[in-house]
Amino acid sequence: MSKKQLKLEVPPMLDAEKIAREHIEPELFEQVAGEKIFDQNMEGEAIGFFKDAYLRFKKNKAAIGAAWLILFIILMSIFAPMLSPYHFREQHTSFGTMPPRIPVLENFGIANGCVTMDLFAADLEEFGDAVKEVKREYIWNYKGKEIKKVIAEIDMYEYKDAKEHYFVFGTDNIGRDLFVRLWRGARISLLIGFISVIINCFIGVTYGSISGYYGGKVDMVMQRFTEILGGIPFLVMSILFIMVLGAGVSSFILVLIITGWIGMSRMIRAQFYRYKDYEYVMASRTMGAKDRTLIFRHILPNAIGPIITQATFAVPSAIFSESFLSYLGLGIQAPEPSIGVLLAEGQKVLTSSPHLTLFPALVVSALMLAFNMFGNGLRDAFDPRMRGL
Amino acid sequence: MLKYILKRILAMAITLFIIISLSFFAIRLIPGDVAGENAAPEIKAAMEARYHLDKPLGEQYAIFIKNFLSFNFGESMTLYPRRPVFTIIKDKIPLTLMLNIFSLVLTVPVGLACGIIAALRKNTMVDHAISAMVVFNVSVPAFVFASLLQYIFAYKLEWFPFLLNLDPQFSFSKFASMILPILALSFGGIATITRYMRAELFEALNSEYMLLSKSKGLSKMQSTLRHALRNSFIPLCNVIIPMFMGLLGGSMVVENIFGIPGIGSLTAASIQTSDHYLTIAVLFFYSIIGLTSMLLVDLSYGIVDPRIRIGGGKVRE
Repeated sequence: MSKKQLKLEVPPMLDAEKIAREHIEPELFEQVAGEKIFDQNMEGEAIGFFKDAYLRFKKNKAAIGAAWLILFIILMSIFAPMLSPYHFREQHTSFGTMPPRIPVLENFGIANGCVTMDLFAADLEEFGDAVKEVKREYIWNYKGKEIKKVIAEIDMYEYKDAKEHYFVFGTDNIGRDLFVRLWRGARISLLIGFISVIINCFIGVTYGSISGYYGGKVDMVMQRFTEILGGIPFLVMSILFIMVLGAGVSSFILVLIITGWIGMSRMIRAQFYRYKDYEYVMASRTMGAKDRTLIFRHILPNAIGPIITQATFAVPSAIFSESFLSYLGLGIQAPEPSIGVLLAEGQKVLTSSPHLTLFPALVVSALMLAFNMFGNGLRDAFDPRMRGL
Repeated sequence: MLKYILKRILAMAITLFIIISLSFFAIRLIPGDVAGENAAPEIKAAMEARYHLDKPLGEQYAIFIKNFLSFNFGESMTLYPRRPVFTIIKDKIPLTLMLNIFSLVLTVPVGLACGIIAALRKNTMVDHAISAMVVFNVSVPAFVFASLLQYIFAYKLEWFPFLLNLDPQFSFSKFASMILPILALSFGGIATITRYMRAELFEALNSEYMLLSKSKGLSKMQSTLRHALRNSFIPLCNVIIPMFMGLLGGSMVVENIFGIPGIGSLTAASIQTSDHYLTIAVLFFYSIIGLTSMLLVDLSYGIVDPRIRIGGGKVRE
């Protein structure tokens, strides 16, 4: 409740006062109803803050879907590499850049391990049984010579004698299974995202609380510090740090932490400025509560909703930063994959093997979309006033 | 106001100083040797003298700062051997700038229009569609979108060229080849502007001065145009100006994908070939742009919102 609302609540005029003003004798009143009071009792249990938020969250279908999607991706990133028959470093050099082949779907002509190729008609025999369908034959004029060419669909698994293999998302140029690498990459991206966000929350909440609660000189100095630090563009700082530290999970996390906590600390500081002059805080202080009690017990819990929401939004941006830096060639070093590294590798062979870009792109987009929708749902649930903004 | 600006400039000078210092330490700490491991001692000595590595650390630091502030960034080592870094950057700026300006020209009006429509038709199908687009745009990374555009429109459909046309003259085919990179660059920005515009305008439409303007007899159109829109533009300069910096960052990957020889691909190439002096100079260039845009945001607040100009300080929460 804000101060404004408190002021608006004018106490209702007392009955006795009213009666006295209108000169009505109390004896003139008589009770209409019987002794029994028909007001309803408060039924059901009291709904707490989290339950209230949960009830609101449950109504948001998109956010629920997003939550399931996040759970699915997390589970896949944990278990898929374990359950798959392949290993993320295992190279099948004879099965390079195989197209995707998925057990059930292959019967319907999707992801059946076939590629459409533009071939010389003379070469067609070389593929033997692997030729599934000759789509078109045409004559190609090359320096006056007429050469027969065909566009044919070829089953790469048949051709490369890999019928017993199912590379669900295909393989990269040295025959590593993309499915395993992708989920392993998602695991690393998620790990970087979660760890950096948790540390950022911790630093941001502590810094913002001190700055906001004590105010004055302390606040001034602390604010100047964040202003100067926050002025360094993220890109510049991250590239400098990774150049020195080398690319690795820990240096990525460090880079995301250095300025990542500033947003959180600003939000917490604003919350403290808003709540620290409230009457209930003053009352508690009067009763001898220590600073620590006031900060952690009375003021900080007001910010729990915004903290969770902001942390949720920080995860996709951390994942994005990781892929972005990987894309620039500052990625996690081989052989360890991350989504960004896979995307950067895929982009180089976009036209010849689009599956290497398609699947990582789908997973990273789904992950970011899910986290954004989930964050939106949380924000609406914790603070219904913000709905739809 | 003047005191406020001076304060901001001071803070930025300190930030810049920190960035230069970080660059210096980065250069010194990066593993590896300037001359290469197996270089002859004379070559090594010559290289060290050239990069002032034979002097004490403090003096090196002073020389480094002096050089940076006079835009003397040394010479490129591996990417464009022996060419001064400053000229390399200077040559690359126009193309990147042109693409970014084109992108802003597309982003700002489209974003504003979407935001205004969504706010005016809140909770209708149009609004939901625009909101879905915003979430989608925010979530899909620009480089994924760029790859998608390139694959579909340039490779499969062949509507646009695959890479940028590098003719020195501006022609129709050059412009056609710029369309995809511009779209890829504008993608995220449109969503950001739309989201802010929608939130701000919606808040303005529900405020009490709108009620007043309606009760004094203005039509909905008049009151929206004269009061709500104007007020909702104020926080937008906070979004649009830093977006320029974001565009420059985004252009790193987009330029790489579409083979545009601008600052962005220069950065990526310099990182990949470990041309450290070049990288650091480019990063310095980015820092200056970033800091300038922050200063512009602060100044624009004073210009756009007279309350701040008169109040003599930014209103803080």
